[in-house]
Amino acid sequence: MRLIFVLYCFLHVKSSTFAIQEDTFTEELLIKPLFSEQVYAHFQFATTWNIDPKNENYHHSHLFPRPIGETIERLNIQELHISLTGGLWRYETWGYPVVDAAPGAEIWAWFKHNTDNVDTNWKLLSNSLSGLLCASFNFVDGSNTVSPQFSFRPRGIVESSNNTFLRYASLPREIVCTENLTPFKKLLPCESKSGLASLLNSGYIHNTKYHSVSLHLRQICATEACDKLAQELQLSVSLVYDYAIMGTKNWSFKKLFGHGLNGNCPLASRSNIFVDLSSKTSHDFELTPEPDDVIYSIRGGQEQMFAKYDIPPYFLSVGAKYQNNLDFNVNIPPPLHACQYLTGYGQERGGIVTEIYNNHWKSLDIVLLQNIAWFVPVYLHTLKIVSNNNQVIEPSVLKYGPGKQREKPYYLEVVLKLPPRSLTKISIDFDYVFLKWQEYPPDANHGFYIGSAIISSYLPLAKNYTGLPQDASTITGSFNASRVGYLVQIRTENMVITLPTPDFSMPYNVICLACTVVALAFGPLHNITTKRLILKKKNRKKLLERLKNKFVEKFFKKKEEKSENDKNE
Amino acid sequence: MSLKKSTKNAEVQEISSKSTTLKALLLVTIAALLRYAIMTSKYQSIIANHVEVSTPLSSWKRVSEGSFLFSKNINPYDGDLLHETPLAIKFYKVMLHYVFRNVHLMFIVFDLGTGMLLYLAVKKYAFEFQQHHKDRKKFPEDVQKYLPSQDFAQKVSIYVLMGFLFNPYSLLGCIGHSTMGIHNFFLSLFIFGMIYGSVVVSSFALAVCATVSFYPVILILPLSIYFVKEYKSNTKAVLAIVNFVTFLVLITIYNSNFGKDFSFVKNVYGCILSVPDLQPNIGLFWYFFTEMFDHFRELFIYSFQINTTILYLVPLSIRFRNTPFVLTVALLFLISIFKSYPCLSDLGFVLSLLPNFVHLFPDCQQGFVVGVILVISSSLAPVLWHLWIYSASANANFYFGVTLAYAIAQIFLVTDILFAQTKWEYSLKHGKDTKIDGEDGVLSLE
Repeated sequence: MRLIFVLYCFLHVKSSTFAIQEDTFTEELLIKPLFSEQVYAHFQFATTWNIDPKNENYHHSHLFPRPIGETIERLNIQELHISLTGGLWRYETWGYPVVDAAPGAEIWAWFKHNTDNVDTNWKLLSNSLSGLLCASFNFVDGSNTVSPQFSFRPRGIVESSNNTFLRYASLPREIVCTENLTPFKKLLPCESKSGLASLLNSGYIHNTKYHSVSLHLRQICATEACDKLAQELQLSVSLVYDYAIMGTKNWSFKKLFGHGLNGNCPLASRSNIFVDLSSKTSHDFELTPEPDDVIYSIRGGQEQMFAKYDIPPYFLSVGAKYQNNLDFNVNIPPPLHACQYLTGYGQERGGIVTEIYNNHWKSLDIVLLQNIAWFVPVYLHTLKIVSNNNQVIEPSVLKYGPGKQREKPYYLEVVLKLPPRSLTKISIDFDYVFLKWQEYPPDANHGFYIGSAIISSYLPLAKNYTGLPQDASTITGSFNASRVGYLVQIRTENMVITLPTPDFSMPYNVICLACTVVALAFGPLHNITTKRLILKKKNRKKLLERLKNKFVEKFFKKKEEKSENDKNE
Repeated sequence: MSLKKSTKNAEVQEISSKSTTLKALLLVTIAALLRYAIMTSKYQSIIANHVEVSTPLSSWKRVSEGSFLFSKNINPYDGDLLHETPLAIKFYKVMLHYVFRNVHLMFIVFDLGTGMLLYLAVKKYAFEFQQHHKDRKKFPEDVQKYLPSQDFAQKVSIYVLMGFLFNPYSLLGCIGHSTMGIHNFFLSLFIFGMIYGSVVVSSFALAVCATVSFYPVILILPLSIYFVKEYKSNTKAVLAIVNFVTFLVLITIYNSNFGKDFSFVKNVYGCILSVPDLQPNIGLFWYFFTEMFDHFRELFIYSFQINTTILYLVPLSIRFRNTPFVLTVALLFLISIFKSYPCLSDLGFVLSLLPNFVHLFPDCQQGFVVGVILVISSSLAPVLWHLWIYSASANANFYFGVTLAYAIAQIFLVTDILFAQTKWEYSLKHGKDTKIDGEDGVLSLE
């Protein structure tokens, strides 16, 4: 008996040690001074869970957050990508971020190809995520969901990539705040108790010019030979601090996050901080303490230098002090960037224009995805694609799904070849719609949000590019990672349109007035159709007299009759 | 002597009829030039963009979008921009590509065609009306001067033609490329077929109208009454109904791509009946259902649609069974007032039929009021629209007020005409004299 118990304990310990070996967690922070007056801090937390997604259940996890594991198992999810963002990433001056995200909330998911009812699962997923992340994902439904054909290909290993199993939705009005960050930190193995996540201090994060929280879940190869699959979860936080708000260009952990770093996360297999030193050539700065290592990276024709810190299990605070002599630098915008705006005036007819800049010397293939809400009915025959103001471009492929009021958004996906060094304008006209009075939000004149357009492309060079290659899940993996193409998915600005409003205080009046008009027709028509025309003596007596007569008739006649009756009796 | 007189009369009539035809042709030419001139000017797009002209159901922009989507192999009925039937889209496409090759030309030709059909129909109707009252001795003495004169038909038909061609409402509809103009062509074809006693033409035209805009379906009743009363033929009436149903079925079969795809039903009839698109127009529905409480929406949709279609159909058909043409016009009026997406072309069409009732005008009491309301509300509508939508200094209530006035004017007009008709019928029997025992009496409905 005792032997069995010992054996059991032994086996149990053994299996749990296996589990520890199976999960790996890395935490990284990349700090990059941007060209203009900002500094970019990107936290990358990656968890790999060597689990066989086909045969094992997701109930026993070690470092992997269990709520997510349960959700993906229950809802048959292949891949899941979520971002919650405040502010807009300025591609033109900031280059490309590690993770692209649209302002507001964005979610896209691939379901496994044996999913029976994708729409039900999608609805369940958005509801459970709204609980998990305290975001308004419960507003994701058929009326703002599309299944793009080209824009969102699976990022990990998949068996098939038929877009009927893909759902994408964005909530441009979503405001991202502390309540989203707290549950997000709980998904990390060390939560915010130690390690890099302890720097995520909401009082400081939400003072930034841009802050984005994202979650990316996919399946990757567990081994080189790819004979085993693993689940990978990337959690990231991107922050852009403005020097104007900070008051100085010299940054330190204290200034950025409120306090220094209190040691690494003991559960992490690797804890690193990287500081991009490339901008030193234009404005020199000195790092304190001295970095542990300096890494040179050549990637897609771009040379970069990074200072590397291994986070010790004790206190660390990194800071940069700029030299006084200020060199001015010319901004070289990235090869591809875009913006979006509304045209027209009044509240009757308008247009959406997307401007795409190709600064590259060769032509670029791009995919433009527009998920236009149902209250912005667009006319496809007004779609115009003009490059450099005169050259009309025919799209290589055009996918369009007409929208339906209150049910389905307008979905437009265009594959284009942008001419070299060009500005391409894609415009489409829409009408303003008139909604029912109860469909307007409480602040009706604030306007309605139209989500950003997404422009996807494989860039041939990695200029201003910080994104991770598809085969990597950590920032370390992006060093010296030259590939054939570098995927960018540019998000443009959100737009706000103010729809014409009815008078919200009028329902009773309107119902009364309209019904009166209907009654105006009913009365005479009823008379004409049911009554006979007869000739009558004109009543020449005055109104008062007539009323008096009637009065007399009614009351005195009765009395007379009564008295007559009495007499008769 | 009398023979000579009658031949002379006939000659005079022939000459006058020739001169009327010439006049009609001249009017048509002027109307065509006028329409073309405005259509090619910069005002075309301004007019076409007005909500009074282009409703969701009659906007040419939506038709263009629909045929564009068809050409890209996208089913436009997956979305809800298009509210025309597949047959209508096909018809416009064929007309545009193989017959006219020019949008302006297409709309002008159909509009002039409507005018000519109305002219021919009314000419026959008015002639018969005049013949009916030819035996003047049958009628009381004091009615004599109100009875239709010899040249009644010539005059009325020219008035109707003028009333249609130069009526600002139908003119604006035509210039603004409102597809209701083409719908009206089939409506006039229906009237033409009805008056000329052609079962096939009238029932076909009516079936086309009914499949496109649904409401004309109720006109099958006056059509069959017309055949029974004017042509004394029950077979014609029955045939008309049978034909109508057959054409309806055939057109629906075509629309549904031979039973394969009924998605248009929700977009066309669903839209007409349940009013999901609340874009303002000159009708009563838009603001009413914008401001409606959700749990009462269905109740009021049912009651408003019943009010438009069958509420007045039976009583009016019984009351005016002896004058089916009056009944037809009255129903057309009620449809144009109470339909869910009315536009100016509807009003223009029914207004142009008014000269048929010249003999009733002396009995009408509200002509001035109606005229003033129509003038004021027509001129205020675009102004208040601009103030609301573009300068944001007015709100929806202002425009709603104007549409109410529109409806009131039309209601006054139609009830006035119908009341005058009952008075006319009375006076043909009893004379105009309203004295009882030497005292002044009044005619009243009791």
